[in-house]
Amino acid sequence: MKQRLRHYIMPLAVTLGAASTASGDQWSDQFPHIANTGDIAGECSYESMSQKDYSGRTLTINTHAVPVMGEPTALHAESFAALTGATVDVIHTPAGDLYSKAMIPFQAGQAPYDIVFGFSNFIRDWLPYLEPVPEYYVNMRQMQDVTQSHIDVNSWDGQMVQFPIDGDRHYLKYRKDVIDNPEMQAKYLADTGNELRVPQTWKEYAEMASYFNGWDWDNDGELEYGSAEVMKKDDLMYAAFFSRSVAYSKNPRTEGGFFFDLETMEPLINNPGFVEALTDWVEATSYVPPGGINFGLGDEINSFGGGQTLFSFSWDDAFVAAMEDTSPIKNQVGVAPLPGADRVWNRDTGAWDDTYNQAPYIVWGWTAAVAKKSKNHEMAFDYLCFFANDANHQADIAIGRFGVNPFKKSDFVPEIYVERQGWDPQIAQEYSETLLDMEEGSTNRVFPLRVPGVFEFTSAVATGTSKALAGQLSPQEALDEVAAEWEAILDRVGRDNVRDAYAIGVALEDNLR
Amino acid sequence: MRFGHKYAFLLPGLLVLIAILIFPILFTVRLSLSGWNSYNPNLDFVGIKNYIRLFTSDARFWEAFFRLSFFSFTTVFLQYVLGFGLALLVWKDILFKRFFRVLFLIPMMTTPVIMTVIWKTVFHESLGPVNDLLSYVGVSYNWLSDPVVSKFTVIIVEVWQWTPFMFLLLLAGLLSLPKEAFLAASIDGAGPIRKFIYVTFPLMAPISIGAIIIRLIEASKIMDTIYVLTSGGPGTSTETTSFYIFIKGLREFQFGYAAAMSFTYLIIMIISLTVIVNVLVRVFNGRNS
Amino acid sequence: MRSFYTTLKYLAVTLWTIFVIGPFLWALSTSFKDFNSVTSGAKYIPWAQFEPTLDGWRVLTKTSAEGGVDIIEPFFNSLTVTGLASLISIVLGTLAAYALSRYQFKFGFVKNNDITFFFISQRIMPPVVLALPFFILLSNFGLLDSILGLIIVYIVLLMPIAVWIMVDFFNKVPREIDETALVDGCNPFEAFFQVVLPNSIPGLVVAGMFCLIFGWTDFFFSFFLTFTEVQLLPVRIVALNSSITPWWSLSAAALVSVAPLLLVAFIVERFLSKGNLSGALK
Repeated sequence: MKQRLRHYIMPLAVTLGAASTASGDQWSDQFPHIANTGDIAGECSYESMSQKDYSGRTLTINTHAVPVMGEPTALHAESFAALTGATVDVIHTPAGDLYSKAMIPFQAGQAPYDIVFGFSNFIRDWLPYLEPVPEYYVNMRQMQDVTQSHIDVNSWDGQMVQFPIDGDRHYLKYRKDVIDNPEMQAKYLADTGNELRVPQTWKEYAEMASYFNGWDWDNDGELEYGSAEVMKKDDLMYAAFFSRSVAYSKNPRTEGGFFFDLETMEPLINNPGFVEALTDWVEATSYVPPGGINFGLGDEINSFGGGQTLFSFSWDDAFVAAMEDTSPIKNQVGVAPLPGADRVWNRDTGAWDDTYNQAPYIVWGWTAAVAKKSKNHEMAFDYLCFFANDANHQADIAIGRFGVNPFKKSDFVPEIYVERQGWDPQIAQEYSETLLDMEEGSTNRVFPLRVPGVFEFTSAVATGTSKALAGQLSPQEALDEVAAEWEAILDRVGRDNVRDAYAIGVALEDNLR
Repeated sequence: MRFGHKYAFLLPGLLVLIAILIFPILFTVRLSLSGWNSYNPNLDFVGIKNYIRLFTSDARFWEAFFRLSFFSFTTVFLQYVLGFGLALLVWKDILFKRFFRVLFLIPMMTTPVIMTVIWKTVFHESLGPVNDLLSYVGVSYNWLSDPVVSKFTVIIVEVWQWTPFMFLLLLAGLLSLPKEAFLAASIDGAGPIRKFIYVTFPLMAPISIGAIIIRLIEASKIMDTIYVLTSGGPGTSTETTSFYIFIKGLREFQFGYAAAMSFTYLIIMIISLTVIVNVLVRVFNGRNS
Repeated sequence: MRSFYTTLKYLAVTLWTIFVIGPFLWALSTSFKDFNSVTSGAKYIPWAQFEPTLDGWRVLTKTSAEGGVDIIEPFFNSLTVTGLASLISIVLGTLAAYALSRYQFKFGFVKNNDITFFFISQRIMPPVVLALPFFILLSNFGLLDSILGLIIVYIVLLMPIAVWIMVDFFNKVPREIDETALVDGCNPFEAFFQVVLPNSIPGLVVAGMFCLIFGWTDFFFSFFLTFTEVQLLPVRIVALNSSITPWWSLSAAALVSVAPLLLVAFIVERFLSKGNLSGALK
């Protein structure tokens, strides 16, 4: 593991060294954002962009609200405009509306935005309206540095249609000042007879979270709780559910689908693996803070990042918030892969396999794409390429509130976080290793669901699981309802349409190098 | 001669409205007869399939309607009673009358989308002031995460936001009541309560009915409050028809189906409102002595 | 007994005042907070309980490249669109309402009440599905992302209110007034403008206020029908609503967005009181 990191550090150090002695200084004076690295050479560097002349042209971008993704978009837009003479208009839209705000014009046959930001699982629905990324950009060194799973997540059937600008994954975050604390470990052992460590299974997670729920274990005068999770029935909570389900349902021994059985297109969402995960999740409502069942991602960030809970496990944001300078728990949080499970459902045998199972959920993250009907393809791709160029990217991932997270192989270098963000070296190491391992090292993983009508499917999951969490239905009943709805959706959208699309994702899961 | 004038008054407004609306309405009808969704953005003709689906296999729509009725009636009733009470309070004989009148108007003037976020922070179970203050009396509620309490939270926010609407209309109505009726009642020796029941209330009937109908229409479209506070949750406990249509339409992009739902909703509302108007007229005019 | 009722009266008014102001006070306090003050439990008084900062307010003037949301231009856009749309809606709506109040119409089986109901029924339909056809409609006329386009759409939203309210108020103005004017030799237009209208000031003021409010606070249509040229205030403010909900800047934004309507509230209240007087002078 460490070997691999060194493998990436060397080229990075060389590049940094080279850059800072060459044209770096001139550009970093004018653009303080890249002061740390200076301009890094490449086809989309500041230097290269300054050679382009887009004066008189206007680029329109629809991106997320400020600051997550919104601020870097606007910042890079300003730089781009200064370098190339273009006029760049940036619109900010709340996360839940990014899809519809772009989709309405798309479906009306228009493209008022040259570039649309979104989540990468929009890909199948947006596919007919997007301009594929030209070979020129795909072959750049900058692009080749992107991890394979992020290239896959942004591509459809071998063709890249979305531009990788960010990486996202779900991973476990925990309070080091508790889990690694010898006093707490002794106490926990004495009270429960079990070892206090980074939870290896969701059952351990639940035990520890319940134990540390409802008392002040960090002596700050406030009560703490077990876990902060996204449970509010909005557009994101189904991803939290899938993260909990992967360990129980993604069986490396059974190929051909995780959400559906690829051959028959039978929904698998109500199989015992998912039901077990939902049962765990219903239990979790007892160890979340008050109101936790209505936590959106923002609340989860406030909660874990503000020091209220022991664990959290969805996107990077909570961890990043916790590691900000202003956070009360800076350098007291650790990173680990998602918990696994002691048994995984085998749908071929119709029984549980009693072996330990763990799998990352390569959850979707931010992405950007160029509209097919845009009249500014070249300029748009140049902008995106500039956004993700080495200098900008290195600077972006060092600013927590930007929401830009590592996705290039050269990102998983602890030094970046230690030096620029003041992270504890051990934590930075843990972070880089865990994330890189998920990207490059795992052979059993789940890709996001990317089929036509994806939101009909996920909306059904959100409604069903949320009913279970609220106690309106039992987990089995809830998921049976979801499965029935999925069947109805398959009929409406067309089984074959969904199968064709799903096959692409399954191929990525089953044919891992 | 009179004929010309009456059309001259009516037609400009009516025709402008129809001109702008004609395409969207027709398009929506046509949409409801198609299978337009995210994957298939075309006006293909599927007949009344959407309507059949709505009436035979979408219990969720009807549950949502039931919840909607609960919310609409409760909030409008509360708004009416409170609004009328407040209007009476600041109508006359009170200090700082004008200050209070202006003050009571303010909630209505906030943008719901933004104000509801403030409410979310107010009702936040661990970081908000409501539970914090209540903790001094040893009580705390799960304002946004309990299936029953969350309904009341929604009602509280709606009442806060829209009581000024009733308040303003009713105050304006009170202020333009003819003095003669009151003089007559005073001469008859009627006290304040009798004056209210037999003079004020019946005279306010037309305004009251108008206000209630508009509020019912608006309240039924309740969206921002639910979207921000609970997203229709926990589970589906605060999901109303308009929110459900929103999810189907703009989240899942099943536009054809959403159009069918919208039309069904429109028809049901029109029928209900007609009935309600008749009931209200009887309620108010039945008081006429 | 009287003093009991009086105390009760003032108590009721005070309670409601607290209910009304409460959220604003909380918003005010929150607008001076930062991440730490927000996540460590409910805090109320600056300096005493938390360190205040001006970040929440500053954000409203910074550009988005600086992590802010500049609300100045959208503020004026909102004023323009809302103001013009309300004006047109009131004019057309009041005329139509007068006709519906005073004359009998019959288009086949469609009578006065039906026409009035037609107007108000435009408010019933949830706007969700209308996003698509309005988008198509405006784009065919090249009116997307324009002030004029928004005004046209807002007329549809606001005219029904004007009609519905003015019909009620005109119904309260006795017909004798019109008759008298006509007998005196006025034509119907003169009767309307010089006699009936001045007696309906409270109604006009109320209708105007509602048009302004519903127009100012609309989010849905301006969200889908504008891109870069014309942004309205509510749409710009939610640009702050990212996954990390910034309690502080949204609080500041909420307070700012109420401000102009406060002015309107004052004006309305003055007219209401005056209207009362003119009504009594008949």
